[in-house]
Amino acid sequence: MYVAARGGEGAIQNAERLYRELIGNFDAETVRTIERAMPYLIDRVMGEGSLYAPELAALALAQSGGDLYEAVLMLRAFRSTQPRLAYAHVVDAERMRVVRRISAAFKDIPGGQMLGPTLDYSHRVLDLAVLEGEPTTPARRHDGVDGLEGERTAKAGGHEVSERGDGAAPAASLNGELQLHGEKSHLPLVADWQRDAGLLPALPVHPCQDAAEIPDVTREPLLFPAPRAMRLQSLSRADTGGVLALGYANMRGYGAVHPTVNEVRLGYADVEIAHPITGELFSIGRVRVTHAEVVTAVEAAPAGGEASADGPAQLQLGLGFCATIGWNEVKTIAGAMLDMAMDLPDPHPSHTEEYVLYHTDPVESSGFCIHYKLPHYVTFGSELDVVRSMGVAKKVAGLGDYYGDGGGLAAGMPGVYSERAAPPAVSQAAGEPM
Amino acid sequence: MPTIAELAAPNPGYSYAFLDEYAKRELRRRILKAIAIPGYQVPYASRELPIARGWGTGGLQVTLALVGPDDVVKVIDQGADDSVNAANLRRFIARMAGAATTTDALKATILQSRHRIPEECLQEYQTLVLQVPDPEPLRSVEHDISKARLLHAEADYGLLWLRLYEQLVRYRRVTLGASYPCLVNGRYVMSPSPIPRWDLPKLHRAAYLTLLSAGREKRVYAVPPYTDVRPLEFADVPFRVEDQRGWTCRHTGLQNKFMSELPQPGGSALYEISDTGFVEKVIARSKTSEVSVGVTYYDDAGRFYIDGYLQ
Repeated sequence: MYVAARGGEGAIQNAERLYRELIGNFDAETVRTIERAMPYLIDRVMGEGSLYAPELAALALAQSGGDLYEAVLMLRAFRSTQPRLAYAHVVDAERMRVVRRISAAFKDIPGGQMLGPTLDYSHRVLDLAVLEGEPTTPARRHDGVDGLEGERTAKAGGHEVSERGDGAAPAASLNGELQLHGEKSHLPLVADWQRDAGLLPALPVHPCQDAAEIPDVTREPLLFPAPRAMRLQSLSRADTGGVLALGYANMRGYGAVHPTVNEVRLGYADVEIAHPITGELFSIGRVRVTHAEVVTAVEAAPAGGEASADGPAQLQLGLGFCATIGWNEVKTIAGAMLDMAMDLPDPHPSHTEEYVLYHTDPVESSGFCIHYKLPHYVTFGSELDVVRSMGVAKKVAGLGDYYGDGGGLAAGMPGVYSERAAPPAVSQAAGEPM
Repeated sequence: MPTIAELAAPNPGYSYAFLDEYAKRELRRRILKAIAIPGYQVPYASRELPIARGWGTGGLQVTLALVGPDDVVKVIDQGADDSVNAANLRRFIARMAGAATTTDALKATILQSRHRIPEECLQEYQTLVLQVPDPEPLRSVEHDISKARLLHAEADYGLLWLRLYEQLVRYRRVTLGASYPCLVNGRYVMSPSPIPRWDLPKLHRAAYLTLLSAGREKRVYAVPPYTDVRPLEFADVPFRVEDQRGWTCRHTGLQNKFMSELPQPGGSALYEISDTGFVEKVIARSKTSEVSVGVTYYDDAGRFYIDGYLQ
């Protein structure tokens, strides 16, 4: 038995067709162009979609006409159907192939600062010449200065940028990967230096758990207080705009912290899994990743448990951390600030774990927002009934004293029922078939 | 030399009923727990589906975890089978599970609904799946979900009663509309999804299983068959359903069924029964005696079928 649905189905099919007509035709070549031309957009969709698949992210963008939330939804919906074949080995940040790392905490850091690819110090001037047919190349600058010679002496926001060897020499793209002559694959973490100096608490002795034992936010519900792994995973796939908005509230002063960016690093990480038979680790590919750490002075936890009654409170550095797949500095910096704020006593409501993690999921928040487009006449009808029962609504023509209210608690509610007038005249045409 | 692409297993496409077997197994286990503890909100790992969050992904996941090729599925949104969202969900379920669909409430084995329970009394062979936007009945009095869970654990619903009392003091009546909180099996207060107050009594000692699922909020809960469901009410201020007496359906001439109000130019209004599947059957019966319409929860005089439940 199949009962064909009426009305609605034709309408939704036509509505979707209209949308597709607006987007126009696209093919595999369009998808590849999007993938090549918009790596940061692709990274954002992959990060929020929590699936590293540049081609699928580009396809989702093409299919949604660039509607970011729709693209993320498509990617996550696809992801949710895919089997879990293996668990990657925990990425060691020190072994990342770093193309950009910045510290605002120190003028120079072990291994040096690397500007890498960034628009931070460029003049955001529209390149109108492109519209006149002049092609753009990495070397052509908007102000007419060719090449990167002039940038060799650039300073990163007041920090000296070390000039190792041939420095941040022009990039070449190989298989979509940025190749920098000066890049390093074993840069020490700033936080490790601070740990050695006793400024930060030491890492746990056994930091690398079995990856399969780490709770997975895509497979288990997020409950509060959340395990730290769940928190970091949620931040990692959170909506960039949402994390920014709440992180920004922190930065503007809704939170008692003044965090400093310890380190932001962008680079490539090998995804390593254990061979199913030999158990040997091998790389199955390389992904773009970002991680950010912020620090601030916080009250130190008492060494032996109980704080001494008379000793002064101690301060040490507190660390906030956020990482995501793809290159997305804004999200990781704001996310790291939120991570730190959540650990402080009495955080601002906008920095509490539940508030932040529940309200920054792009799929959940955008979906709920647009669900208000659905009809609500049943619930609204119930609400109208309450409003009318209070006698404040203007009487509907022809209904006389239909909604009149006797008033008073004793008489009020039953009064609505007892003062019933005859059925409204407008419903006399009842009985007509649909 | 073969390429990796050639050696790799072919893409099998999507699983039966879209969700992978792990997801379905998890959901079924959580549903069993929900049935075992009536009204208790069981957290589950809600999956992303190809429809937007808040559009029924919670109900859809439950339906997909339950549905088999022999099932007959009915999907309604605000009472209507042909509203666009219902049509879209039905299309998806039928496409992914190969199940038959119907608009007849009594022919369906699974009814997924947004905010309505059909007018005809559902039976033991049926499962009602309600989509839930906000499963937490304490949300308005306790925003912190951890604290709310503690209040549930201790059956401490004082804040909720206080809120009802405050409404009585301020407005001289309870001003809750749809989604009226109710006590399930004398233990847990639950939010019955935003069904109108009209539908709430239909959950009481119902023959069928009701599953309520919130995809965005990742909670599933249940009212097992023949379980007590009581709205929160004071002995001297009884619970009231929507007052629609005097409203007459423009299609069927019936009264005392839940109506949608259709505003007309000039300030008047027309009314029609919100349950379109029911209207369809009533009209069909007026033309041929072969169609039978089931017993309804409220008779034509507006009396609820369980005596004494509504004061």
